[in-house]
Amino acid sequence: MSVKNAGTSAQTVAVENRGAFETHHMRVNVGPQHPSTHGVLRLVVDLDGERIVAIKPQIGYLHTGFEKTMENRTYQQCVTYSNRMDYLHGFGHDLAYVLAVEKLMDAQVPERAQRIRVILTELNRIASHLLFFGTGLLDIGALTPYFYTNREREKILEIFEMVSGVRMNYGYFRVGGLYRDVPDEFEAAVREFLEYFPPMIKQYDAAFMGNKIFVDRTKGVGVLTREQAIDYGLTGPSLRASGVPLDFRKAQPYSGYEEYEFDVPTSPDGDTYSRFMMRYYELTESLRIIEQALDKLKPGPVKDPDRRISLPPRSELETSMEAVIFHFKLVTEGFHPPLGEVYVPTESARGELGYYIVSDGGSMPYRVKVRVPSLINLQSLEPSCIGGLFADMVANIASLDPVMGDVDK
Amino acid sequence: MTTENAAVNHDVHAKLLELGARYGEFKGMESYTVSSALINEALRKARAAGFEMLSDIMGIDWLHYPGHTGKRFTVVYNVYRLDDVRRIFLRVEVDEGEKIPTVTGIFRAANFMEREVFDMFGVQFEGHPDLRKLLTPEDLDGHPHRKDFPIGESPTLFNDGRFLDPPTFRAGLVGRDGGLTGWKGGARKGVRSEQGLELVDHGTTGQQGGFAGNEGGGDR
Repeated sequence: MSVKNAGTSAQTVAVENRGAFETHHMRVNVGPQHPSTHGVLRLVVDLDGERIVAIKPQIGYLHTGFEKTMENRTYQQCVTYSNRMDYLHGFGHDLAYVLAVEKLMDAQVPERAQRIRVILTELNRIASHLLFFGTGLLDIGALTPYFYTNREREKILEIFEMVSGVRMNYGYFRVGGLYRDVPDEFEAAVREFLEYFPPMIKQYDAAFMGNKIFVDRTKGVGVLTREQAIDYGLTGPSLRASGVPLDFRKAQPYSGYEEYEFDVPTSPDGDTYSRFMMRYYELTESLRIIEQALDKLKPGPVKDPDRRISLPPRSELETSMEAVIFHFKLVTEGFHPPLGEVYVPTESARGELGYYIVSDGGSMPYRVKVRVPSLINLQSLEPSCIGGLFADMVANIASLDPVMGDVDK
Repeated sequence: MTTENAAVNHDVHAKLLELGARYGEFKGMESYTVSSALINEALRKARAAGFEMLSDIMGIDWLHYPGHTGKRFTVVYNVYRLDDVRRIFLRVEVDEGEKIPTVTGIFRAANFMEREVFDMFGVQFEGHPDLRKLLTPEDLDGHPHRKDFPIGESPTLFNDGRFLDPPTFRAGLVGRDGGLTGWKGGARKGVRSEQGLELVDHGTTGQQGGFAGNEGGGDR
């Protein structure tokens, strides 16, 4: 079994001094329909015994052409598409999209809208991480935590349903603000969750740190050094697990994140265990942000009053001809941003997320390019898996938290 | 701290200008257009100045862009520094059939990104270790993000045989047209908006439509 670096193909590799014996690398196809790949991820893995010598992700099974579709829809219609990419952190995608267009339009988003955006995005981050823990531990063989994490996730989804009407694919943010104000029960519901959730995090201790099987299978496994992580373009919690304290909420604040106190957990280890734990610590940090945002939440408008961007209120339509004209124009054509190109980086649950929008002055974006974190994070499977055991690959994939909608766009 | 960073950035600014880069700035986004042969050197210089994270590589097809005259494609390299998240965009302009040297030798992350640009625009990267399609199926002919790639919609049908042809319907919404009514947002001339918005003179808000890129009016 000494055929290290013998190449990635499964062709016959004759080994010296072995007489009649020949050692082959075995090529194993994982997926695209495989329970551990969280969607339609296909991996072509070359094995030397139990050790991985080459791994090539084959992606695109979920390619939907969202970018091209968005280039043929008006700016407000695009909100429907952005959250369908990363369906587990939909508010994060919505936020990244509207921020880019708002920068292009110089829109002034009212304070209340910004606070609600932050609360929803952070709640969504918690929900996304909870599903990550559930399925991630499921991959490693721990079945029980899935039920616990989904129990809490359910409560968050109920809040989302109350706000936007749906539990997924929200489409609640608009360029210039929100679709409408949150219902009156919203604040109480979030406060209730804030009280309910911290004891639950304590419960997870037993499932994570207290679970010997989990710790043994993840500690020291799939190590990514700081240099490797940067070289492969890793971002988000996975990068912070390799010791880089990069968080765009802190480094380049948007939507008023600079007003909230929170820490950015990092770990110097870079192994699968710390990638899991970064998200675990983020649960508490997200709770802190939500609590501060709720405290600062004041009544007020939730839309940019600029008639170029937002629809006039319904009541005005009955009295003002001007309002009717604006309404008609915005509905039939949408608004026309000035010529230019913008990019606003944000921190999604998976890493750096940004929309690069090129405007040609029309009411549809000329070019939309989404910098999706999952796709680029997936490349780091190569350094973290090669040389390791095949069974650890599953834990490695889980620790990167790829969402295939986010990978394939 | 800030002055120090500014100095380093100034350094990269001077170095890129030395390479013959064209500097541009829009809403705080700094971009440098370099010739395709120099992209490796430019990125090496940027990396030496601390821009060690390659965030993204993307393509733009200018085929239908109003008033565009240069080469057909632009490839944008999005790099930033980790300490102060200062971001610069390096741009390379290429025409159909021209090749760009790969940057996978500098950033490993460029592997998927260049494959995606190749897949979507057909821009070739010379020296890429594994230049295959990334997202679209192997048997798909063409490059979907090119502007002349059809999106394959079917017309919306109504009663009495009326139908809505999507491309015709949308033609009034893109920048090369004046819009369905030539309206560019803002209040009409002579009407003071309740919101106290700045009034913008749109010139002739007429039915002619016209070439949006050539207006250069106050709302641009």
